[in-house]
Amino acid sequence: MTTRAKLFRAALVLLAALVLQVTMLSDLRVLGALGDLMLALTVAAGLTGGADRGVTWGFATGVLYDLMLDTPFGLSALTYALVGYAVGLAGSALMRTSGWWPVGVAAVAGVVQATLYTALANLMGDAFPFGHLPAIALVMAAWCALLVLPLIRVMWWVHGHSEPDRLEVLLR
Amino acid sequence: MAISPPTGSRTRLAIVVAASVTLVTLGLRDVPVIRDLREGAATVTDPIQSGVDAVTRPVRNAWHGVSDYEDLQDENERLRDQLEEAGAADISATDAQRQLADLSLVLDLPYANDIPKVVARVVSGPRSNFSHAVQIDKGSDDGLAVGMPVATGAGLAGRITQVSANSATVDLITDPEIRVGVRLASTGDLGTARGQGRGDPLVVDSSIGPRVQIAAGEGVVTSGVDRSVYPPGIPVGTVKTSRSGSGGLALELVVEPSVDFDRLSYLTVLQWQPG
Repeated sequence: MTTRAKLFRAALVLLAALVLQVTMLSDLRVLGALGDLMLALTVAAGLTGGADRGVTWGFATGVLYDLMLDTPFGLSALTYALVGYAVGLAGSALMRTSGWWPVGVAAVAGVVQATLYTALANLMGDAFPFGHLPAIALVMAAWCALLVLPLIRVMWWVHGHSEPDRLEVLLR
Repeated sequence: MAISPPTGSRTRLAIVVAASVTLVTLGLRDVPVIRDLREGAATVTDPIQSGVDAVTRPVRNAWHGVSDYEDLQDENERLRDQLEEAGAADISATDAQRQLADLSLVLDLPYANDIPKVVARVVSGPRSNFSHAVQIDKGSDDGLAVGMPVATGAGLAGRITQVSANSATVDLITDPEIRVGVRLASTGDLGTARGQGRGDPLVVDSSIGPRVQIAAGEGVVTSGVDRSVYPPGIPVGTVKTSRSGSGGLALELVVEPSVDFDRLSYLTVLQWQPG
């Protein structure tokens, strides 16, 4: 696949995810909290392409999402990039240990991003209440765990996958 | 096993973190380019969003049918009582009835009569877990501008923070970053209300002495003092409890907002700018 084709597919996926996030998902609340498709996409990128791809997708999804929000600009980009990088490292390290690790990693990523975002927002003077964090973290973890396996397939569609690994065996 | 990323990955991370921190800094300084980018993004995505919104509405309605089942049951009971009291015999759609009631309320506000108004539909709730803003379907083409207060028939809902041609973002007063100058309806004592997030009451930092008793149910309205960003007399909420504030020098009031922020369907924008 050519680089231009990959870029086109990536742009298509980003736009579709953004539109779904701000239309459908923003209305589907559980315990008062939302799922985060953009974060799940970042996690899938980190798991399939390592730290490099995780950080790049994290930044891209975060900037796009920030454009649609009223929250501090760039904060989603920063937290998604850090989570994408960490997921990429974790993916590389854990790949040979168990079968359902992507789901577990995605759930942990949801909790980490929610916590990191709340902490950084408060550090920056945006008084986001910590009392809401448990429900948000729980819901984000659940949505990320639910979405990560289909989104890994989406990532394979965007980037292709050169060598078979445990993920492919799991999803076959 | 030790995790050791390649040097290239660390370089990329450093670049991305630096870029993100730069964006955060620019955003905090509210530089025009960020505001323009956000308004541009809203203008571009509005038509797409409207289309997807219409297509996905059945899914969202089904979801609300499941997730809000108990609330819907309560509401049904209440509506049934009201219908019996009014002797209404021929109402075919409860949803249509509710929407009509909502619309009537925002069209005929019991306050701010001398201020021009624009009624708008809420097209989307907060778009992330960390947002306190809703989107409405009217924008600068309809005469809306940043800073205009937004209300419902029940009281103050928020303030416009961003406008594109055909939509606007309304930051709700539940946002911990928003401050509203208020006064107690009966005594005229002044204070500043701040949000504590979705679903939580407002807190009013007052100048009232800590020994004064404030009765629960006391009304709180916007103060409209000089250079206030809200006109005077808009209901904000009712006092739930009062307690000694930090330092013990003044009273802190816990106020239940008048507006039900979980059920916003229409909003009235008051075309009012601070003097």
